[in-house]
Amino acid sequence: MTRHLTMTAALCSAAMGATAVAAAECPEGYPSEPIEFVVGYAAGGGTDAIARRLASEIEQQQDWTIVVSNRPGAGGDVLMTALTDEEPDGYFLGVSSTNAVTIDPAANEGVDYTWEDFDYPATAMEVIFGLVALESAPYDDLEEFIDYARENGRATISTSAIHLENVVRQIGEHYGVTLIPVPGGGASDALQSALGGHVDATIQGSQHIQQIQAGNMVQLATLTNKRVPYAPDAKTLTEYGLDVVAGAHVLFALPKGVDPAIRTCLQQAIDEGMQSEGYAALMKNFNNEALNLGPEGAVAFIKKGAEYYDALYSE
Amino acid sequence: MPELSVILAGFADVFTLTNLMYIVLGVAVGQLAGAIPGLSILMALAIAIPLTFTLDTLTAVAFLISVNKGGTVGGAIPAILLNTPGTPESAATALDGHPMARKGYGGKAMKYSLYYSVFGDISSDIVLITVSAPLALVALKMGPIEVTFLMMLAFTVIVGLVGESMIKGLISVALGFLLASVGIDPAMGSARFTFGSVEMLDGLPLTALTIGMLAVSEIFIRLSERGAQSGQDVVGAALTFRDKGSQRLTLRELLANRYVAFRAFLIGTVIGAIPGLGSTTAGFLSYSITKQSAKDPEKLGTGDPRGIAASEAANSSVVGANMIPLLTLGIPGNIAAALLVSAFIIHGVQPGPLLFQQQGQLIYGLFGAMLIANFCNLAVGQFGMRLWARVVSAPASVVYPGALLMCATGMYFATGGTLGIVIMIVASVFGYAMRVFGYSIIAFIVAFVLTPMLERSINQTILLTNGEWSELLNHPIALALFALSIVSILYLGPRRRAKGDRRDPPDRGAAPARDEA
Repeated sequence: MTRHLTMTAALCSAAMGATAVAAAECPEGYPSEPIEFVVGYAAGGGTDAIARRLASEIEQQQDWTIVVSNRPGAGGDVLMTALTDEEPDGYFLGVSSTNAVTIDPAANEGVDYTWEDFDYPATAMEVIFGLVALESAPYDDLEEFIDYARENGRATISTSAIHLENVVRQIGEHYGVTLIPVPGGGASDALQSALGGHVDATIQGSQHIQQIQAGNMVQLATLTNKRVPYAPDAKTLTEYGLDVVAGAHVLFALPKGVDPAIRTCLQQAIDEGMQSEGYAALMKNFNNEALNLGPEGAVAFIKKGAEYYDALYSE
Repeated sequence: MPELSVILAGFADVFTLTNLMYIVLGVAVGQLAGAIPGLSILMALAIAIPLTFTLDTLTAVAFLISVNKGGTVGGAIPAILLNTPGTPESAATALDGHPMARKGYGGKAMKYSLYYSVFGDISSDIVLITVSAPLALVALKMGPIEVTFLMMLAFTVIVGLVGESMIKGLISVALGFLLASVGIDPAMGSARFTFGSVEMLDGLPLTALTIGMLAVSEIFIRLSERGAQSGQDVVGAALTFRDKGSQRLTLRELLANRYVAFRAFLIGTVIGAIPGLGSTTAGFLSYSITKQSAKDPEKLGTGDPRGIAASEAANSSVVGANMIPLLTLGIPGNIAAALLVSAFIIHGVQPGPLLFQQQGQLIYGLFGAMLIANFCNLAVGQFGMRLWARVVSAPASVVYPGALLMCATGMYFATGGTLGIVIMIVASVFGYAMRVFGYSIIAFIVAFVLTPMLERSINQTILLTNGEWSELLNHPIALALFALSIVSILYLGPRRRAKGDRRDPPDRGAAPARDEA
């Protein structure tokens, strides 16, 4: 009888092996219950779509059951706070943003955790920001924009997040001109101010891409270290000689203390999910590409950011 | 504008059995979510989006739009029948819808609300389909400075909602200001009144607050009235209806309010086309303007169909008009539209200036779906009305606890935890006290809704003008809005006091004394 069952199990796993890409190396008996992906933002948004798509790819590849739910609030901080109270058994993964662990512990009152309270099995996508302006504006790149600001005494840039306001000031300091961040109610609000000509430029993550393609806007600079396909002529901040971090990554987080074998298993499972065709299609819809920094890369990125903001806010 | 063949092909795409079924389903889901106090349209949309991942793009978007359209219709039903608005958008409908229902004309009030709502929907859809592009360019001219002055104008207009005493009304507005300032300060980025709680960083949730103050406190009022009267009444129906004949609504009665409804549609369309304002603002603004400009303002609030027309036509017009900045510029006008954007993107369609060129057929398919959804709204609404009339005929001891349970469950889902329920209950006690002492809850809520926008745009204005007053001279629209505010204060304020104070309408503020009958 026992033997019969073992045979069936072996046949089953062989059959599954044929459909699955490659199963992650997991400790025996894991997962024995459904795994929860908890998204730090409301359902229907970009991070939510990433979590749900990855969950369904991983379900197919590994034959696991993954339940996706949302715990929105305070830009991911509510989720991260909840994560610190979870059992580190590897069944509860937060899907959030690197901003929630780099900036928020320093900037937001009431945030009690630090980046060191979590493990990071993977990152899923980089949000690449660009400095964009109306096509009709008298500047086409960052240097011309700076000249414009110098002549006028100041220039205004609409933003949608507190770390982007800081990026604006850093660029201004680098060139010795007054750049004024104008905080909007969100990326759309910031874009609207720029399209209506109420501000001189805006910082955007994705909504500006089609404006560029339609010829309404130009990208003055790409705020990371590599150029983007939709604005190949826009130089990066690194090329302009600035050491400024504006990007953020979609981040997977576990409470500290999960068994290293389970961590390895989850790292591999997420990475395999990210290599699926379905995930690539979603990334294409976002005009972006899958990017996994891996556990070490994530920690390096987060550590650098957290140290920077700690210093900035303790001043 | 794309070629005619693209337009026709788009419209033809909608007529598949699958699409039509999803439109009907979406409308039904939306009406249900809207009608259940505590479930909001946003929540219904957010839950529906992941379900549409596997659908065809047109089917998915048509379904989501239908949910949105159904929700604005459904929200009015509990507002009318129980005085417990199902969604914040329909709160203004309760002001006249519920008094009408208490007189025994619940069926008629629901019909008024449904027809004016569908009228607003269809009209704003037609505006969207025909003149969206030029309208969107005009809306872009509304920058932070203009929005600041628009908000100021809105505050002067809502003076019509303050209730019997100006001082008490202003106190309500001030409380709205105060509670709206909880959360992250938009200028400094620092926390205000959060008491060290991470959840409070986002501010107090609007839905929990409105449902608590309007719906749950109304339930408390009803229960306390019933307890005070003969014990037998507790098992009586929550609401009684007169005979069938008096629920009938003639075309003539409907057309009698055509000017009010048309003005409401204009207000809703303008508010909807300007990103960021939303349907709650539109409903109240339209109601307030209607009341201020009426020859007999004291009648509004006692079950006047004009009140229903003003609120419903306006809040429904926002749904279509909200798509104007979304489809032409890629800018979502409110949270519901932002959820639609993410649905578009997930399906590989990037809303923006190229949308009509790249996806013309899809967009005209969507327009077709929107028009069909309006008629489905009418049909499903007719059926739903009978159902809801049945529900409120149940004993009050079933209806009110049931509504309370739904409110609490909805809040739990909306906030992903118990904080929403706690805020709802605290707000309901607060709302109960305000009603008992005659403070206008509506004035409070409108102030709460408008304040964040006002604060943000003032901050932006100061940054953009560099603090120089003379800069405002370069903004003629802002100056015109400012002039209108002055007119509104000078003209409407004294007029109201002269006319209204003698016999003030039994406003929500004075709720307990309202239905002696």
